[in-house]
Formats: sequence, C-alpha cells, structure tokens
Amino acid sequence: MKRRLLVLLLACSAGIAPAQEAGYAARQVELKREPFSDAASAGTLPERTEVKIVSRQGGWLRIESASGAGWVRMLSIRTGSTGGAGGDSGIKQLFNVARSGSSGTVVATGVRGLDREQIANAQPDAAELSRMAQFAASQADAERFASRASLAAQAVDYLPAPQAAQGAGER
Amino acid sequence: MIPRAALAALVLGSALGATAAPALAQFGFDLNRLIDTARQIGQASTEVNEAQEVEIGRQYAAVLLGAAPLVPDPELQRYVNALGRWVAQHAERPGLAWQFGVLDSDNLNAFATPGGFVLITRGLLARMHSEAELAGVLAHEIGHVVKKHHLNAIRKGAGMQAGMNIVGDFLAQRGRNPEVTSRLVSGMKEVMLRGLDKDDEFEADRMGVVIAARSGYDPYGLPAVLQTLSAMNPQDSGLALLFATHPAPADRLDALDAAMGTRLDRFAAGARGSEEFLRVTRRK
Repeated sequence: MKRRLLVLLLACSAGIAPAQEAGYAARQVELKREPFSDAASAGTLPERTEVKIVSRQGGWLRIESASGAGWVRMLSIRTGSTGGAGGDSGIKQLFNVARSGSSGTVVATGVRGLDREQIANAQPDAAELSRMAQFAASQADAERFASRASLAAQAVDYLPAPQAAQGAGER
Repeated sequence: MIPRAALAALVLGSALGATAAPALAQFGFDLNRLIDTARQIGQASTEVNEAQEVEIGRQYAAVLLGAAPLVPDPELQRYVNALGRWVAQHAERPGLAWQFGVLDSDNLNAFATPGGFVLITRGLLARMHSEAELAGVLAHEIGHVVKKHHLNAIRKGAGMQAGMNIVGDFLAQRGRNPEVTSRLVSGMKEVMLRGLDKDDEFEADRMGVVIAARSGYDPYGLPAVLQTLSAMNPQDSGLALLFATHPAPADRLDALDAAMGTRLDRFAAGARGSEEFLRVTRRK
C-alpha cells in the first residue's frame, strides 16, 4: 500500500501523468470542439465555472466541466479553486519520501536554503561560483544543443505593454 | 585630459585584475584615491559598463550560491546551460558570457543577476512538465538581465547616489575591503528579499514568452508554469519568497492574457521537448 503510493507519487513527479489540475474560467469562455480559434463552438462557460484540466496543447487546454467538455484558450483559465486552495504542495513531501523512505519524516535541510532568513544570513561562496563557471556552454554548444533538439529559430516581435494595464509606474 | 572612458578602463583594469590588487598594495598605491576616482566615475554616469555589471552579478550569484549550492549533477548543469545559452542567443545581449545553474533547494524560485547569471531551484524544476516550460522561465530571467532590472533595483533601493557609491566603492577595491564588500552584499540581499518592481516582472513575462518562441519553443511554457504555481497552496513554505517578491501568478496570467491575445498562437506548435528534459531532470 505504502509502496504503491510511493510509486504513484514518483510517477506524478516525473510528469508522466497528465496534469489533472482543477481550475475555473477567469471570464466568460467559449468552448471549442478542437484546439483552434475557428473550430466549431461547443458552448460557453460562464465566468468562474469550475473545470478539470485534462491536457494542454499549445495555447489550448482540454477541459471537462458541468457546462460541457472541449477546448478553451489556456489563458482564459485560472488554476486552483475559486475558494481557498487546500493542502500543502506535495513537493517537499515528495523529496522527503525519496530521501528518507518514510513519508512522515521531515528531512532537516541544514542551515543553507533560500528562505528569507537563510538568504539574509548567506555568505558569498566563491568556490561554488567557480564550479558554476565550469558548466557554462559556449555559443557552439548552444547551437549543437538546438540542432539535437530540432529547435528552429523564429523571428518574433516583442509584445507591446497592454495600455495602462499595470497603472502609473510607466517610465 | 584623459577621456573618461579610458580612465574608467584604467581604474577598472587595475581594480579588477585579481593579481593586480596585491601588487597595488605592494607599490604603496593610495587605495582611497582609487576609490574616490571610481566613485566620481560612478557619480558621473548613471550606467555601469558591462565589465562592472558582470562583476556585480558575480558577487550577487555568489551570495545565492552561499544560500544554496548547485545540485551535484554535472549533466543536469550542462543541460541547463546549453538550453539557457541557446535561449539567450535570441535576446539582445547574446555576447554576454551567460551562465546558468540549478540550485539544490526544495524552494520554488528562479533568479537572475546582472551580467548574465541565471539560477533556478531544483524545486521549481521538479514542478515542470516540459523543456518549453524551463525555456520559458529561463527566458523570463534573461529578460531581467537584458533590461538590467536588478541594477536599477539596487540603485533605487539605496537611493540612486548611494547605490552608485556602493557599486563604485566595490569596483575600486574588489574584495580587499570587507566593509565595502559587505555593503554591496547587503544591497543585493535587500533586492533579493524585496523583489523587483512589479512592472519589471510583467515586462520580463512579456519578453519571456517571445524569447522562448524565438528559440523555437512553444511560448505557452511560461504561462503553464504560472498556472502550476497558482494551483498550489499559496501558504506553502516553498513558495513564500517567490510569492513575496513577485506579483500573484493569477495577476501575471491576466497580464499575459491581455498582452498575448492570439498573437503568438502560430508559434504554439513549437517544441515542447519533453524527452531529454525528463531524462536529465528526473533521474534521482
């Protein structure tokens, strides 16, 4: 039982299982039969309709909801529930399981870390900085990586800032 | 009269050379005068040059590495460097000696420091589902570096003049005066703990999705990470610093929604590249 749970947790952490996250419509959303703007409509989700996210494809999410199933634009959905989010993230528990073999044990992480106090007390580590430099990639390394991953560079313009969306702080 | 740029190069050349500093002391150079000169240069210009920026960024990165070391996994570190360098080639400063690293911490966070140093935590990496998501987060950090958001924050935090003095003093003495170094380090820590301007974060998000698309990735990787973050319990201790220093993920998604619209949809078929990503990041 415990072992099965561990396997399940590790499978989730490995990203093998598709994201089954809960979410809700950030606004009124048109539901599509296919993940394309000109696909046939499959209805409309009123604002704040709760959805279950089944999968993602580019800018689209496949969802299921009480108002129907289909594809919606990814950025029309907010994850989490409309109420408060429940439970602690599994991530620390996962790592603790992996390290201690007992899901109940919290592994002490020592004095180092990236919490507020730990950063406030951090001393510069020159040796680690030198180590970091050893792993640096050259432009040629980057080109090789891109070719191996079949990445094709594209020409894309930066996006303009939405008009006054973030208030008065414009320079 | 020596042109200011040449003077700056001269002062920096002496001050930055690791072996030059003991030699200066040996020949009885007046360190205080050197500091004053650097200070005047700092005051005369509101911009630091690239060599100065990189030196500040190195110190900044050393503090983060002092808080959490690198994950002891050379293949992972090289993978993130190759990917990061490729992505950085598609922003405005491809010539910087970009360095990337994965910090050994369960916390979920990513950091950039001036001059091209980018660090991401193991905890955040573990929450990602694809290479496109990693590319999106690195591209956001690259945006901060390209726009020099952290330098601006250091200056603003201390007041412009005091900030430049701290930077100028540091560059003049390069680690030989512990008091001066510690003032710079405190200025950096303050920025790490306070965060950047909200508008700078929104700008880095807008740049991040574009830089990822330019690099051949699905631009929706960064929004996917933001959706993952917003689905988590905001009280989670691993998110505390990230949430304290950034706008809420839902607000960032709202802003990206408004900025992206359907503009980048034709790039959404770009690579997600999950295979090597999963192999390298999920071995433990």
